[in-house]
Order: sequence, then structure tokens, then C-alpha cells
Amino acid sequence: MSTQNRYVVAPTVTVLAVMKGRLSGAIKGHALLKKKADALTLRFRQILKKIVQTKQEMGKTMRASAFAYTEARYAAGDFKHTVFDSVEGASVKVAASQDNVAGVKIPKFERLGNGGETKMNLTGLGAGGQQIQTCRKAYLKATDLLIELASLQTAFLTLDEAIKTTNRRVNALDNVVRPKLENTIAYIKGELDELEREEFFRLKKVQSKKKRDADLLQKEKEASGANDHSKVANGGPAAPADGFMGSVKKAASNLLDAVGADEDIVF
Amino acid sequence: MYGFEAASFNIKDGYLDAVVRGHRSGLLTQADYNNLAQCETLDDIKLHLTGTDYGPYLANEPSPLHVTTIVDRCTDKLVDDWTKMRCNAAQPLATFMDYCTYGHMIDNVVLIVTGTLHERDVQELLDKCHPLGMFDSIATLAVASNMRELYRLVLVDTPLAPYFSEVLTSEDLDEMNIEIMRNTLYKAYLDDFAQFCNRLGGTTAEVMRDLLAFEADRRALNITLNSIGTELTRDDRRKLYSNFGLLYPHGHTELAVAEDFDQIRNAMEKCPPYQAIFTKMGYGESQMLDKVLYEEEVRRLVFTFEQQFHYGVFFAYMRLREQEIRNIMWVSECVAQDQKSRITDGIVYIF
Repeated sequence: MSTQNRYVVAPTVTVLAVMKGRLSGAIKGHALLKKKADALTLRFRQILKKIVQTKQEMGKTMRASAFAYTEARYAAGDFKHTVFDSVEGASVKVAASQDNVAGVKIPKFERLGNGGETKMNLTGLGAGGQQIQTCRKAYLKATDLLIELASLQTAFLTLDEAIKTTNRRVNALDNVVRPKLENTIAYIKGELDELEREEFFRLKKVQSKKKRDADLLQKEKEASGANDHSKVANGGPAAPADGFMGSVKKAASNLLDAVGADEDIVF
Repeated sequence: MYGFEAASFNIKDGYLDAVVRGHRSGLLTQADYNNLAQCETLDDIKLHLTGTDYGPYLANEPSPLHVTTIVDRCTDKLVDDWTKMRCNAAQPLATFMDYCTYGHMIDNVVLIVTGTLHERDVQELLDKCHPLGMFDSIATLAVASNMRELYRLVLVDTPLAPYFSEVLTSEDLDEMNIEIMRNTLYKAYLDDFAQFCNRLGGTTAEVMRDLLAFEADRRALNITLNSIGTELTRDDRRKLYSNFGLLYPHGHTELAVAEDFDQIRNAMEKCPPYQAIFTKMGYGESQMLDKVLYEEEVRRLVFTFEQQFHYGVFFAYMRLREQEIRNIMWVSECVAQDQKSRITDGIVYIF
């Protein structure tokens, strides 16, 4: 386990709990973001399809409009300046509003105004007035399509950006944050186990030391009390080793008793 | 009157008559149009046109060519021809030729007035004016803010002055009034032109009567057609019709109350020459009307060249050239917009 791919934390139980919380958060977040990315991609595909359709229609409509202008010029002569010079303000305006797709705000454009329906309808009264109106309508249609296309294109770009960000987040959660948290948790667990083992070993050591001290004390007492106890003197050297092994087994079997009995062990 | 004209016509007008008939042979023929219709690009069109009278005007145009450039150069050719003839003209032919250009003059006046109302630059507006309709004091039109001032300050010195007496109101100018003003002026102009031709007498009067009557009737038809569904009242509509023509006065009364295309058709068909035109078109084909009317006009204009010793040829030449420019515009646009299947819909063959 390398130290690079984990957080630098103190291996304690509290931090472990925090880390576990973060891990479950990361997993949930990953699932949510994945869902969002899917939703965005779905919408993205829809928009793409619509853009292709609109663009194809655009080509046709623009052609038709340009030709309607030709027809109007054929019938009415050069009416361009007459129309240009009587323009006061924009008759078609575009309003921007917002649409919400899975938390991503997408700008949307809409046409305002009816394209100056009332004002110019006497232009070309003497010749070609009808063609001029047809031309106006054709271009109004083209403008509508343009606005729709602008809406779609902007949505396309915004969504593209949003999808990229979301996917980056999804991947980051999946490939960076989660392994790192998992590693940290594993590390903390390892460290905690290690600590436990060390503690256990120390406990044993203390216990055996105490036992040896008690034995020595007893031996001294026996030696001072009854010097002719030859049987005990012969088995003397073997007794500590045997006694040690026995005590380990005893300590392992009921550690809690020993813990409760010995006042040196604080926990 | 025929004999008298033949005796004296060539003394003053023989040269110009020859010139205009020479120009007539420079008009594009059906073969030319067939060639033009085969073109794939605007450069091809230019190449074909360089073989015609338009050659010198288009020869030096650099290559990415636009339809407007072609049309402008072709108009230049007409304007050059016209000014040359006008310079050489003696009275009363000179006056007659001036009359021919008054239509453009009205358009220019209206253009400048509209532009001024919206505070456009006068110099810019002057560039947009039709060169045939220019007059000396045109730039000063910009000072006027209402009809009365316009008349008092500027138009009183122009040939259009008498026509304004009819539309002289102190109402402020707006789009609606301007469009009505344009048509009222045109009506007054046509009436005056017709009277002038009658005064000239002889073959000129005879030929021009026919042409102007057709022009007046066509305007009446167009005004009716284009005012259906607009705010223009019947009385206002009636006032815009000229006081002559085959439809005057009974046809006009019917046209004034017409509310749809079929009613217009009924009114027009009571006049035998127009009945022939309308039978060419199926019911409900109002789109084709323009072309049919242009064809009829061209047919009449071409006939004027069959007559001798009259001024109608000058008028006819101008109109035919304009139709030709319209044809070239149509062909060029079709080629430029890749709509070659529609080419034949717009060409009016002159010869």
C-alpha cells in the first residue's frame, strides 16, 4: 500500500468513521452524477437530431426566401431602398429565457413581435405589392428558423460543456476519490490492527514479567524457609519456562480476566 | 395627319429615330436568352453578355460578380443611350422624352422624402436614386418635413409641380401617406402624359394612347390586387385610378369594390383585350399574372416599331430595355441561386 494514494491522516477510529462516511457519500454522489450525465446525454442526442433537421430545413427555407425576393424584385422593381428607408425599429425581436435540464440552465430564444404586420402593407401598391408581402413572410419564416437554430446551437454548446464537466466528475469520483478513500480506510484498519497486536504483545510481556517476579519472590521465600527441598530445586530451572508457556495460554484464553485482575493495564 | 408627319418628321427627328431603331436591334433575342439559360455561373452570363451591346459595360468587371453589379451595368447602358438621345433631341421630342422619365422621378422624390423622414444621409439617398429620374434640385428635397413645405420649397421648380396640386395636404408624412402620395402622383403623371400625347397628335397620339391605356389599366389592376386586405378604403382606391384607359370609368367602379381575385377577374374580363389575357391563365393562378401582363406589354411595345414617324418608339425602347434588364436580373438570380428550373418562368422574350 503506497502512501501516495491515500489521505495523510492519523489512523484513529474517529478518522476511520469520517472516512467511511466520505466513502459512502462518494459512492452515492457517483451514482447521482452518473444519472445526471445520462440525462444530459439523452437530451444532447435529441438536440443534435433536431439541429440536423432544422439545418436541412434552413437550407430549403433560405433558398425559398431568396427566391421570393427575386420574384418580388421582378414584379416590383428595386424596392429595397423604399423598405430600408422606412424602417424605424426592429420589428422582430428575440427574447432569451432559461430552460432547466437536470440542473443545467440552457438559454432559450423566442421571437417577439409579429414582424411589422401593419406598417409596410402598402409598399409596392402600384406594382408587386403581393410579391413583397410574400417575400416578407418567407423571410419571417426563415428568421423563425434561425432563432430556433440559434436556440438549439446554444443549448448544444452549453450541454456539451455540462456533459464534459459531469463526466469528468463521475470519472474523478470513480477513479480518484473512491480508491483513495478505500486505501485510506484500509490503511487505518491496518494501522489499528497493528496497534492492537502491539498492545496485546505488551500486555503479555507485562503479565509474564509479573509472573516471573512473583515466582522469584516465592522461590526466595521457600529458600529462606526450607533449604532441604531438593525436588523443588531440581525442577527449578525447568519450571519458569514451563510456567511461561502455561501463562501465555491462560492469558490468551481469558484475556479479560487478566485485564480485570491486573491494575497495570489501563484499558 | 399621317401624310404631314411623313413630310416633316425626318427634318428634326430623323436622326434620333434612326438611332433608336438601331438600338432596337441591339436588344437580346430569343437565341441570346437560350444561351443565357444554359449558363452555369455568373461569369458565363457575363461572357455571353460581352458578345452583345452590354459588352463594353461588363467587360471590365472583376470576377466575383454579383447580380446587382450586372443589373447596374445594364442599367448604365440604358441610361447612357437615353442621355445621348435626350441631348440630341429637339422639341417637342425632348419634352416627350422627359415625360418618359417622370415615373422614375416620382420614385426618386418619394425615396428621398421617405429617407429624410427617417433622417438618412442625403448623399447616401442620392446614390440610391434611379439615374433616369434625377433633376437639379433633388438634393434639396431633404429640407421638407411636410407635404406643403415640400411643394413650396422644392417641387414648385420641378416638372412634377402640377401633379402635387392633387395630393397637397398638410398632413404629416408617414409610410401610408407616402405610398398613397406615390400612387396619386403617378396617376396625375399618367393623366398628364396622356394629354400631352394627345396634344402632339398624329401617329404618336395613336400609338401612345394604346400604350398608356394599357399602363393605366395595369396600374389599376395592381392597385386593386395589392390593396385587398389593407386599410385602403374603396374611395381612396378609386382616387388612385387614372382617368383614362379601357377600364375607365365603368371598370374602375367595379374594381373599386372588388374584394378578391375572382371579382377583379370578372371586372377585367368585361374588356375584350384583357379577357384574352385572363383566358391564358387558369383560375387561381394570380402568381403568373405579372408575367402575363409583362408579355402583353412587350407585345404592344414591339408593335410600335412597325409604325413610322412617331415618338412612341422612344418610350417603347426604354420600356423594352427595362424589361430586358428585368429578364437578365431574373436569369442571373436563377443561375446564382441554383434555381435553373424556374428560369423560363420569368423571361419575357422580346423578339
